Amino acid sequence: MPKVRSRLIVATLLLLLVVNPLNAQRSAIDTYAITNARIVTVSGPVIERGTVVIRNGLIAAAGANVSAPADARVIDGTGLTVYPGLIDSYTNLALPEAVPGPSPGGGGGGAFFLLQQQQQRPPSGPNSTQPAGLQPEVMIEDVIRPGGNEIESWRSAGITTVLTLPRSGIWMGQSALINLAGDTPQQMIVRSPVAMHVGFTPLRTGTYPGSLMGVFSTLRQMMLDAQRYRDAMQSYERNPRGTRRPDTDRSLAALLPVVDGHMPVVMFANSEREINRALDLANEFKLKLIIAGGQEAEKVADRLAKQDVPLLLSLNLPRRTTAAMPEADPEPMRVLRERVEAQQTAGKLAKAGVRFGFQSGLMTNISDLMSNANKTIENGLQPLDALRAFTIWPAEILGVKDQLGSIEVGKIANLTVTRGDLFDRNSRVAHVFIDGRPVDVRPPATGGPGQGRNTLAGQWTVIVNTAQGDRTISLTLQQEGERLTGSISGPLGAGEISNGSASNTGEVRFTVSVNVEGQTKEATFTGNLANNQIRGNVAIVGSAPGTFTATRSGQPN
Amino acid sequence: MKRLLVLLALITVGVSAVQAQTETLIRNATVLTVTQGTLQNTDVLLRNGKIAGIGKNLKASANARVIDATGKFVMPGIIDCHSHSMLDTINEGTLAVTSMVRTQDVLNTTDVDLYRELAGGVTTLNLLHGSANPIGGLNTVVKIKYGRPASEFLFPGAMPGIKFALGENVKRSSTPNLPGIPRRYPNTRMGVEETIRDAFTRARDYKRTWDEYREAVKKDKNLVAPRRDLQLEPLVEVLEGKRYVHAHCYIASEILMLINIADEFGFQIKTFQHVLEGYKVAKEIAAHGAGASIFADSWGYKIEAYDAIPYNAAILTRAGVIVSMNSDSDERARRLNIEAAKAMHWGDLTEEQALKLVTLNPAIQLGIQDRVGSIEVGKDADVAIWNGHPFSVYSRVDTTFIDGDVYFDREKDLARRPELAKERATLEQAEPNKPPARGQSPQTPRRRPSSHEDDAEVEKP
Amino acid sequence: MKILLTLLICAGSVFAQQIGNPTTQQGVLPPRGTFAIRNARIVTVSGPDIENGTVVIRDGKIEAVGTNVSVPAGAQTIEGRGLSVYPGMIDAGTNMGLVEVPQGANGTVDLSEVGELNPNAKAIIAVNPHSAHIGVTRVEGITNTLTAPTGGLISGQAALINLLGTAPKEMAVVPQAALVINYPRIGFGGGGFGGGFQQPANLADTLTANERQVEQIRKLLRDAEAYGRAQDAYAKDKSLPRPDRNVVLEPLVPYVRGEQPVIFRADREAEIRGAIRFAEEMKLKPIILGGNDAWKVASLLKEKNVPVILTGIFSLPSREDDAYDSLYENPAKLQQAGVRFCISTGDAGPEVRNLAQYAGMAAAFGLSKADAVKSVTLFPAQILNVADRLGSIEVGKMANLVVTDGDLLEVRTRIKYLLIDGRPVVLTSRHTELNDAFKNRK
Repeated sequence: MPKVRSRLIVATLLLLLVVNPLNAQRSAIDTYAITNARIVTVSGPVIERGTVVIRNGLIAAAGANVSAPADARVIDGTGLTVYPGLIDSYTNLALPEAVPGPSPGGGGGGAFFLLQQQQQRPPSGPNSTQPAGLQPEVMIEDVIRPGGNEIESWRSAGITTVLTLPRSGIWMGQSALINLAGDTPQQMIVRSPVAMHVGFTPLRTGTYPGSLMGVFSTLRQMMLDAQRYRDAMQSYERNPRGTRRPDTDRSLAALLPVVDGHMPVVMFANSEREINRALDLANEFKLKLIIAGGQEAEKVADRLAKQDVPLLLSLNLPRRTTAAMPEADPEPMRVLRERVEAQQTAGKLAKAGVRFGFQSGLMTNISDLMSNANKTIENGLQPLDALRAFTIWPAEILGVKDQLGSIEVGKIANLTVTRGDLFDRNSRVAHVFIDGRPVDVRPPATGGPGQGRNTLAGQWTVIVNTAQGDRTISLTLQQEGERLTGSISGPLGAGEISNGSASNTGEVRFTVSVNVEGQTKEATFTGNLANNQIRGNVAIVGSAPGTFTATRSGQPN
Repeated sequence: MKRLLVLLALITVGVSAVQAQTETLIRNATVLTVTQGTLQNTDVLLRNGKIAGIGKNLKASANARVIDATGKFVMPGIIDCHSHSMLDTINEGTLAVTSMVRTQDVLNTTDVDLYRELAGGVTTLNLLHGSANPIGGLNTVVKIKYGRPASEFLFPGAMPGIKFALGENVKRSSTPNLPGIPRRYPNTRMGVEETIRDAFTRARDYKRTWDEYREAVKKDKNLVAPRRDLQLEPLVEVLEGKRYVHAHCYIASEILMLINIADEFGFQIKTFQHVLEGYKVAKEIAAHGAGASIFADSWGYKIEAYDAIPYNAAILTRAGVIVSMNSDSDERARRLNIEAAKAMHWGDLTEEQALKLVTLNPAIQLGIQDRVGSIEVGKDADVAIWNGHPFSVYSRVDTTFIDGDVYFDREKDLARRPELAKERATLEQAEPNKPPARGQSPQTPRRRPSSHEDDAEVEKP
Repeated sequence: MKILLTLLICAGSVFAQQIGNPTTQQGVLPPRGTFAIRNARIVTVSGPDIENGTVVIRDGKIEAVGTNVSVPAGAQTIEGRGLSVYPGMIDAGTNMGLVEVPQGANGTVDLSEVGELNPNAKAIIAVNPHSAHIGVTRVEGITNTLTAPTGGLISGQAALINLLGTAPKEMAVVPQAALVINYPRIGFGGGGFGGGFQQPANLADTLTANERQVEQIRKLLRDAEAYGRAQDAYAKDKSLPRPDRNVVLEPLVPYVRGEQPVIFRADREAEIRGAIRFAEEMKLKPIILGGNDAWKVASLLKEKNVPVILTGIFSLPSREDDAYDSLYENPAKLQQAGVRFCISTGDAGPEVRNLAQYAGMAAAFGLSKADAVKSVTLFPAQILNVADRLGSIEVGKMANLVVTDGDLLEVRTRIKYLLIDGRPVVLTSRHTELNDAFKNRK
């Protein structure tokens, strides 16, 4: 099935190449004019019928009375609407596929493991004083690479620019704003670094911090250390003679613009309490805070507005993905409410005067982006604000408002041209210009799983050998970065795994409650992936240890 | 229209259970004051968050809510001196000393168990770090203001505290040896002692370093301050008597060990937590001036709990130790009234002594005895109305007040149930809640185990 | 007579010094004899309370109960003025005597056998008469427990025991009282896990796996049924080929014939429904153990006349949105629906002594006080088919009696005298002994 689908896509692409001259090779001629189009400038009034002129990668002119220059390649925009290129302000795009271990063709593995292990690329955190996950000096611009399916599908959805950042970590590293076109990383980068990123997922390596409490304390201690590092360095520079030289520290040095309030810090926070915690921490250290995620941000809207903290608001709206089964417990009301309320968040934030940029929330199917944006509009967000949240607001929040976010002369010629209104369900992206050049647009793929996020994911048959003999159980795994989730079922009982992790070297580890000798006990599986098998040991609290072998019972998905 | 209905439902039955009430007059109750005996046919007036009057025929202003409590009992809100409710994570178990971590960073005000505890007459919790390490994280004392922001939960003026732990959990007796993962130090009660000794030795030096700096910087403004160490700062506060130590322990020898260390370094253990063998060393605990916060009768669930006896409260109390009865469990917290009554059954404590185990005594152990723990004019209006004597198994809570506001009311709870059912029906029809034709298998969120949570190293989602 | 009274009253001090040789490890049973408790309030449970009544006990049995009962000559008399007499409490869901310390002392754990199908694992074989749990429990008025193994799919056979005896045989009331089946669970939580249900990540897979497990049980029970018939046939007609004896199948025969009850551990609605369906299919005599969701299945339980041993009174509500009192109210709801039930701690041993509070909580939430007492006396006796011997104060029943100074279920009430199987029991335990040893340490 996947094979069939990819053939279809290839075929469609070929067709487009033949039919549409704009989708041909990158043109050598850099001047374009889109004439007779409706132009939504965002910064000013809508021009119902006008022309946009693009020259040398920039917007050269836009207006009702502008005429196409003689040297321009003219695109008849009759029936089309021109928007500023859309910005997706929180992605893992343009990162090399995280490939843990020998298993090919999948994702997983945090950026840090990736950076450490990727021998073909210079690791960006060498000689760090900190373990992976706590390296603020990591710069995403050092690892981004152009091209790939994901980028194509994003820009086919009308997105010209994304903020891209490492996949995981506590101090995740520093993000870059990139255009989704260009032959080299250098051509793609619009601004780097844009912000420092913080995630609150504890290290899963058995080392500190192993809990959310520890994460907060670690963040605090490192910021305090950075402040002292600054003081010590300044003192040393004032008077090097007779002063013992402080050790240099790239991690702490990278935090200096953060603790000095120059570089914004993007903290990942969805629930009300996560957002409050982020706000508290930012206040404690006077950080320039941006919240990413923000699902329940409307519950904290007053505080966000008062402190002028902007959001990178996820459009990966929660929805029920599980089937109806009579044996299943009803979903908690809390969850049901959250899903309904999440669609109202954007509207409420806009009313409260909180600025936000939309982001895809690591959704796997980018075609959900616009339909979810529509849901926020149906639930109270003004369409113009929705457009701003894709354009000028993120441009402001990410510090590029002079370059992006509106159709104004002199700005980067990132344009999204649609047939029909952007928020109309039947609209279609007709052309996308990035850095003044048209890029290929293909119909969005539907339904397919995201790229590069599943390696261990799938069904496994596990033979567990303990003092009580062999038991065969089934194991279902999902993988996101180095994090494993999933469940077991079978003669050892059924349950969710916890503390699951998969390193890119193929080490697999998870804990699950099992039913042994009639008692529920914690079993910890540790093993290694090789040749599509996981082999290793299982330690059961209060029982003799055993071994296990897991074999795929289905195709990797 | 449908959306409007949802909205309406959300507004009317959301978390708006709390009723702001500036004045409430509870009439004609039996009042268990704790400090001034049991008063029959007595009124209690709650005004502006405080207890404003106790007596007969009290007058309230016209807009006061008046509750006829004839035949009912009023008791101070129960204080649970050992809880892990509303913590998203309980243990930072990676290190032997984690005094830098704070439970206050991980409060979850939406934990439904909080409401269940209110329904058991509990109003204040001492939220402790778990017992994975000899020196654990910092505690948080909260009032259960369920439905309010986390900042309003924090008990103003409560003494800061820190969790210590000794014995099997710290030794990680039940943690399996995993291939490739070295065991964490310590592995014995000897190593536990050394770990604590080392930490306080470092803390003492740290304090000296800062004291010296503060002197020296007066002369040389350009001096760079010493590194701030979040691990050692709380221990310095312990040495300075500014932070209470709540030490999880079981057996007699480890209790004596910690007393010796504390005496040597010149600090005090405020409470021994669990302290199952406290009765064996009651006089030493009393001499040190420590309190004890215990289970009523839990025993036998592991080796170090095998000598636990339910007479612990009585023996310690008679030795002069301030004793409280705690839950360490969201489940048990709901019936601490009965746990306290057990001290009358086993060990013959008086009713007043038994009442103090879950009211005034834990208040003293948390440094909040001027605010809560008894029914006295001027104290916080944290009380519960019971439909019978709280020491009777047949009694249950009618209404729980915190700062004069109602946070649990059985009548309202019963009345709300049909509305909630209606809200659920509406929500389930909402677009994002409809099950897909083909989808993943259903899931419910994970929960913590509810008993002996100290041992739990799980995180709530 | 006087000696006995002194012994009973002063027992604590008499035996106080015996640390290391606790009375809980007595080698000799206290003798039976003739006893009379007079001028007491007698809570017969099966009939009305009797004020100022007398109970006569002879040779282990209740010989007479009433107001006009005369004390037989030579009877040792307990003056019951101001006291109440109750039948001893019964906890029908424990592992009493099978585990001393569950964590860190695996050698003391005899709960579950290796493998899934162990009908021949008999609790009565392993129950430890000298366990500290037994003394600690009985001095709180609990005279009987059903003690059950826990492992695999078919855990084994539970024993109904008196909490007194120097050997398992002396303790046994019904040595093989019920077969215990762990009906495959849909998820975690419930029962002894402190409440909250958790679904597995893949419910569909779990249900499939569960079906396979049920099939395993089904197959074994069918084999046992065939085995029983073959043995019977051979007994009648020796010309048939002699079927080999089989220690796994043999004990199952009375259960598959519906002669003895089969206990199904089940907490969730779907598990309870599944167990009932399975029992009906296999013509078993089912009892549900656990039953946290029983209130949701009340009409079916009533219709099929399936009794429930409720162990989750003190569990946290199963689901986030369940009412705060959903499990406190479970007994009252079953009572209203006409479902037979009893209340148990569901505990392995140490907490069984708190059984009265479980029943008390049910009474705080809708159950009548009289039914609350029944739920730990007569109801479990009826469910376990021993109501002819236990559970109430009636002539001819086993003299398992508790004399209290107040309401049996109240925490503050003290047990004054205790008789098990007509034998007066000294009210000491490992805990009273440790108390005595340390309470006066200066």
